[in-house]
Amino acid sequence: MEPLNVYASRLITKEEYFAPGHRSCQGCAEALAVRLVAKVLGNNVVVCAATGCMEIVSSPLPFTNWRVPWLHVAFENTGATLSGAEAGFRVLIRKGRLADKKTVFLGMGGDGATADIGLQALSGAFERGHDFVYVCYDNEAYMNTGIQRSSSTPFGATTTTSPSGKAKPTGQVTWKKNMPKIAVAHNIPYVATACSSYPIDLMEKVKKAAAKKGPAYVHILSVCPTGWRIPPDRAIWIGRLAVETGVFPLYEVEDGKYKITQEVDELRPVQEYLKPQGRFRHLTPEMIETIQERVTQDYKKLKTMTGKFNTPDKV
Amino acid sequence: MVTLTMDGRKIEAPEGATLLKAANSANIEIPQLCSNEELEHYGACRLCVVEITHKNRTRIVASCIYEVAEGLEVNTRSERVLNVRKLVIELLLARNPRHPSLLKIAEDLGVKKSRFEAEIKGCILCGQCIRTCREVVGVSAIGYEGRGINKRVATPFEESPPDCIACGSCHFVCPVDVIPMKEKDGVRNIWKTDFPLQKCESCGRYFAPVKQLEYFREQYNLPPEQFSKCTHCR
Repeated sequence: MEPLNVYASRLITKEEYFAPGHRSCQGCAEALAVRLVAKVLGNNVVVCAATGCMEIVSSPLPFTNWRVPWLHVAFENTGATLSGAEAGFRVLIRKGRLADKKTVFLGMGGDGATADIGLQALSGAFERGHDFVYVCYDNEAYMNTGIQRSSSTPFGATTTTSPSGKAKPTGQVTWKKNMPKIAVAHNIPYVATACSSYPIDLMEKVKKAAAKKGPAYVHILSVCPTGWRIPPDRAIWIGRLAVETGVFPLYEVEDGKYKITQEVDELRPVQEYLKPQGRFRHLTPEMIETIQERVTQDYKKLKTMTGKFNTPDKV
Repeated sequence: MVTLTMDGRKIEAPEGATLLKAANSANIEIPQLCSNEELEHYGACRLCVVEITHKNRTRIVASCIYEVAEGLEVNTRSERVLNVRKLVIELLLARNPRHPSLLKIAEDLGVKKSRFEAEIKGCILCGQCIRTCREVVGVSAIGYEGRGINKRVATPFEESPPDCIACGSCHFVCPVDVIPMKEKDGVRNIWKTDFPLQKCESCGRYFAPVKQLEYFREQYNLPPEQFSKCTHCR
């Protein structure tokens, strides 16, 4: 859908549910992603937001940026709160106290709240099959508290808790946790990855996720100029590079069936993605070679999955 | 602001807003397939019908083209309304029995099968592609052809459209996905015509149709070397 951006974007509603005036950093692609997600879901939505950047910037007491019902919950219980809210609504509808308005339940959290701290509650919510959409805004570290590593931080990135030094010259020594794959393993109806550099694609995916009955998971790569050490005007450009180099391929898994939504004919070398970012500044050519190998291998693996069903026992 | 009653609820809406918009902002769901805020009101699909009562007279109107008025009483879920919607979706299903967006609306209305014999055309004549081409893109490359049961969306004289810039907006906006668009080896195929794509000077990747870029340059008086590079290399 990306080649359609020019005119297609003019057909999208001008209504904003994540209001302007929030306090995120300049060039924050995560705020952009939140805005687009809120736009798609409209006003018939209940949002449960975990602690994180988007909670801090959008709700400094006594203000709020949200024009829809919004709950702030702790890091570890977004999934639980979301399931509770959804179940509560369902009961009220069954008892006839609420009209069935097809309210969408949106859970949102950063990579820390999703892949690290909130994983068990989220896993439980997936397993119980509540009807909700969970969106993970992945900026690859705990940016809100000052760039600490998370399990979603990629190999080789410098953060304040995984600095590149004499003992560990690579910085982060483990590979990024594959959170979409964990979601797919729950056999939920819809899993997708998106990036705010591809807005139309992102909006289509969120729309699809909301339309599905049962849990849906959307993993959004949100470029963080502050934490990734890039100039703010480069945020969208870096996001596009992440997709074109194959570091963060855009795909969706609908009822267990993989499909790459943003086909890249020829992957750009990973170096193009790593070089402009300050957090990868220390990498030696050998380390870049290691990353390149891994990325190519992962992309190939993903390609072989497309068109095939993830599990024989399709949900 | 005007005050009106919708499904027994008092709601407020800005003057000049349509009933559909007022309903949406009050979280009252009305199905529709042809309305888009950014396009002129049209009223083609008739799925959004509601019942209005004004001075003891009740009638059925399409909410996407009917404007709000002070003291209007609107019923969006009366039996009469639902019956009309059921008939409309059955008629649409006869033209396109497979598309998920139609099937979902049918399911919500409790329609299992169309009573009408299927006459598969795919297109439901909502006109969004034509309006987008005219109002948003500004080229009017496609239009309606024929009348009555022969009415359909087509390019002039069924030939390759001379004004089309291959932007793909019609493909994007179509609610039932019947306008195919394919891209392969630097050529975009839409409306059965091949449009070459522009190659980026610096990285050698294709990024946009040549005709679309020419249209931009013409529209905004840009120098000819503008858009020789893709968004990434610019």
